[in-house]
Amino acid sequence: MGSLLQLFIRNGGFVTMVLVEALCFYIIVQSNTNTRQQAIYVHSFGKMAGDLLERRQHLLDYWSLDAQIDSLRQENEELQQELSNRQTVQVEHRDTFFAVRFDSLFRNDSVRRRVTRPEYLYITATVVGNSINGANNWLMLNRGSIDGVQPDMAVVTRLGIVGIVREVNTHFSSVMSVLHRQTKISAALKKERAFGSLVWEGGDPDVMTLKFIPKHFDKIAVGDSVLTSGFSHMFPAQHLIGTIAQKPQQDPENPYFLVMQVHLNQDLSTVQHVYVVKNLFAPQLDSLQRSTVHEQ
Amino acid sequence: MNSNLFPNLWRFLLLVAVQVLFLKQVAVTAGSYFNVLLYPLFVLLLPIRLGVPYLVILGFFVGMTVDYFYVSYGLHASAAAFSGFARGFVFKIFEPKGGFTGKEPVFSPQYFGWSVFAQAASLFFFVHIFWYFSVDYFTFYYFNDIALKTLASWGLSMIFVVFYGFLFNPKR
Repeated sequence: MGSLLQLFIRNGGFVTMVLVEALCFYIIVQSNTNTRQQAIYVHSFGKMAGDLLERRQHLLDYWSLDAQIDSLRQENEELQQELSNRQTVQVEHRDTFFAVRFDSLFRNDSVRRRVTRPEYLYITATVVGNSINGANNWLMLNRGSIDGVQPDMAVVTRLGIVGIVREVNTHFSSVMSVLHRQTKISAALKKERAFGSLVWEGGDPDVMTLKFIPKHFDKIAVGDSVLTSGFSHMFPAQHLIGTIAQKPQQDPENPYFLVMQVHLNQDLSTVQHVYVVKNLFAPQLDSLQRSTVHEQ
Repeated sequence: MNSNLFPNLWRFLLLVAVQVLFLKQVAVTAGSYFNVLLYPLFVLLLPIRLGVPYLVILGFFVGMTVDYFYVSYGLHASAAAFSGFARGFVFKIFEPKGGFTGKEPVFSPQYFGWSVFAQAASLFFFVHIFWYFSVDYFTFYYFNDIALKTLASWGLSMIFVVFYGFLFNPKR
């Protein structure tokens, strides 16, 4: 026994400690048969490992969050595009001439009776600069000409409209917010199908003014939806803008028309993820318009 | 060595008696979060020059004695043996400039002052109680419970340690 003690002393306290602890653990597990420590000894390693794996997955989820958001937005973009194109133009498939044309804009549906002609292209973008308190407000987007953004494209969100692209450089674009005195958007009432001009008169960033609705539309009620008319070549048709906020009144400047307040559905102070909308037929529409203007 | 035998033997008996006759009842009354442990003081107050292996083995013995009354064989023994091992590190932190002279037989407020004794004892007891509850749960899966119980028991135990220091202030 004495020599054993000497061995402990010579090999230092650590070895003694390890041996004694091992003995203690042995005693603990032995003396606790079918009680807590042994049960835990059996179970806890599985439990601990499972917990560890779950935490790891949780962490990995966080790391890939950006990628996930990106893919979701990509998907949204495609869905939005599909939806808008389904709503808008459907051209009768009249003869075989169309079917043999290799045009990416033309697609046959499953029964080959109609072709859907895509009219709008959606580009996702993130707002990197925004103002709402000025007399004329601007936004900055993180998409530029390299991403296909061009001047005079509309900027919308799922909830409403945001503005119109004005200047574009390689990677960024500046957007004239709808909260701008030059804004003039062709808008229509969903129920009455009457259309007018939507302008911003400054002040409240939640409210715009709808003008030039003929005065015989006297059934307009508070809460009616206001949509884009689709006459502007920029905004896709039937896109929600907001709701009527106030009973329409006679326009003091022009007694034949009504004027009304529109509460914007998209809160422009919190707008973050937007779509830039490209009208694929904008050049054609513009050239037509220009030629008619010339004739006037 | 012989001159240290009897003071430590009496301390052993006294601390184990207080632990199992009085403090065990305190834990039952105060709830499971306040498991007051005083007997590690025996390990702390063993002669400073005693080798680490002796400390570990003596710790094992005092722990095993307490375990015998607590019917938790190996639990206190494990904690006390480990704190016997850890005592050297605690002393390293709090040893006076130039090291221990050899004139101080035990680490008590008598020789080192109340402040140093309280700090060293705090660290020592924390290590002991943390180890005790860790082994009690036998897994760090319940780390929150372990930490909470450690803090509660540690705080209450330190009151008794200081009380013991005032009462006896051991010289040997």
